[in-house]
Amino acid sequence: MIDPVTATIMIIAGGVLVGVCVHFIPASATGAMAAATGIATGPSMLSAGAGLAGIYAAAYSIDSGLAPVIISGAVGSALMLLITILCGNIVLAFGIGAPPVSGQTASGKSTFGGTKDIITGFEQEGYRSPGTDGHGMPFQTVVSGTIGALMGGAGGALVFYAVYSMTLPAISTENAVALAGIVAAGVFLINSVLPAYVLVGKTEGMFDMKIRSMHRTFISCLVTSSIVACVIYAISWLAVSGVVA
Amino acid sequence: MASTSLLLGTALAGFLAFLAGIFEDSESNAGSASNPNSQVQLAPQIGNRHRYFNKAISGEPPANALWATTAATIAYLLTAHFGGDAFAVLIASIIGAASSTLLLCAYGALSHISRIASMKNFEQALYWDSLLTPLPLDAAYGFLTALILTLLAFAAHGLLGNPFSVPLIALFFGITIGAIGSSTGDIYYGAERLYQCYIFGSGIPISVQGDIDVKGEYGYRNSVDTPYFTIRFGGLVTGLAFGMLIFLDAWSRLFTFAGVWTSVIVVSALVLVILIFIYLLEVYTRKRYGRYAED
Repeated sequence: MIDPVTATIMIIAGGVLVGVCVHFIPASATGAMAAATGIATGPSMLSAGAGLAGIYAAAYSIDSGLAPVIISGAVGSALMLLITILCGNIVLAFGIGAPPVSGQTASGKSTFGGTKDIITGFEQEGYRSPGTDGHGMPFQTVVSGTIGALMGGAGGALVFYAVYSMTLPAISTENAVALAGIVAAGVFLINSVLPAYVLVGKTEGMFDMKIRSMHRTFISCLVTSSIVACVIYAISWLAVSGVVA
Repeated sequence: MASTSLLLGTALAGFLAFLAGIFEDSESNAGSASNPNSQVQLAPQIGNRHRYFNKAISGEPPANALWATTAATIAYLLTAHFGGDAFAVLIASIIGAASSTLLLCAYGALSHISRIASMKNFEQALYWDSLLTPLPLDAAYGFLTALILTLLAFAAHGLLGNPFSVPLIALFFGITIGAIGSSTGDIYYGAERLYQCYIFGSGIPISVQGDIDVKGEYGYRNSVDTPYFTIRFGGLVTGLAFGMLIFLDAWSRLFTFAGVWTSVIVVSALVLVILIFIYLLEVYTRKRYGRYAED
């Protein structure tokens, strides 16, 4: 178990990690029409889906201590995201008949410059359907998404364990786990939606120029998570002190 | 050696998740509920008067979380109050799913009417057949999704031993299945089914978006035809994705060779294997389809 002040700091850190992770997960709503690179849905909702899958996986390790919970959450989240990417690319390959390609890289506007996939070295120019901004998930964006999912899953699990530790002295284990799960899901949803104002519905992860606006997300998530963490600390303190049942 | 309940739970959860994925994708396609709803909404603005059922109430993840959590909460309360065995859980889940389906019908009907009404300036008429014909089909898929997610939540709590309560697991599954469904199966609806008039083998250019197929194989296309088409590929892939996630996650906990770190090691290995598959698929598609003639 950890002391309440450390747990409060963990909630803030977890919330910021969740917000930052959204910048790394390539997603775009127009991807559903194979008209933009990225997983075919809004970045915020996709991150929430991956993060909650991570918290679900982390819950199995709740009795094993902090490190197993965080790492279980991280890899559980990465598993969800990679399965989604694999199946999304299967639909693109066999249902639409197009290869995955990065639109930003193909037009030379990637963060790292050039028109090749920075990891595999595959040329992106020419593989993009005419009139679109790429489609599917090329390998470099898959790696970016995996990093984002690991961060998001770890952040969600951090909040989950912190709230569990703070509330356990006051209520039964079963109720503490349920409460921690609800709060972690809530913190995840709040912080995964905030970057939407910077990403405006589309990102190619760390290969998108929008990654340079990450400091805005960082500050907004820091402020929001601090307020949420203080509220959780106050309620837990009141519950442990016996002021509220 | 894993216990019988864990083995049974893993197999059952994987199977239920596979079915849930298929039904969820079909429900979303029948109601144009996810990202491609923008195309159905855009169609009248460029002169395509359509007969699609368009009931996007919210993003797909929160919508599914609402159906699943409502069903699971009612089912959990019923079983907690009356008790009983697996059969009682099934009956309670059916009652819960039926209740959430009523909610879906109410929201779906009002959502469709208001969305179509907002297109009045573009001469889009409110056809009652485009609401009343697909609504029962959409509700049926919604019922099956909510029912199976509720049963899955009971399996995850009772057989797999997840410490979260049943309604909370249903909430998590609802959001996750919505995220998966809108990321996989919806591409088949948004980029293929809605645009079958365009040649196969390409994404949909931004300049033609909204120019959806309004006529089908026989007469005007409606949303009853849509799941009939998408369930054969997009639905199956969505089911595969959610089924794989739940099955592999449960399967990783059957081993005990490294104590509390066992599932982390197994899932990490699976992550690497999936990364290799993604790479091989990209290599295959680049060779198979090649470059486009113009860019």
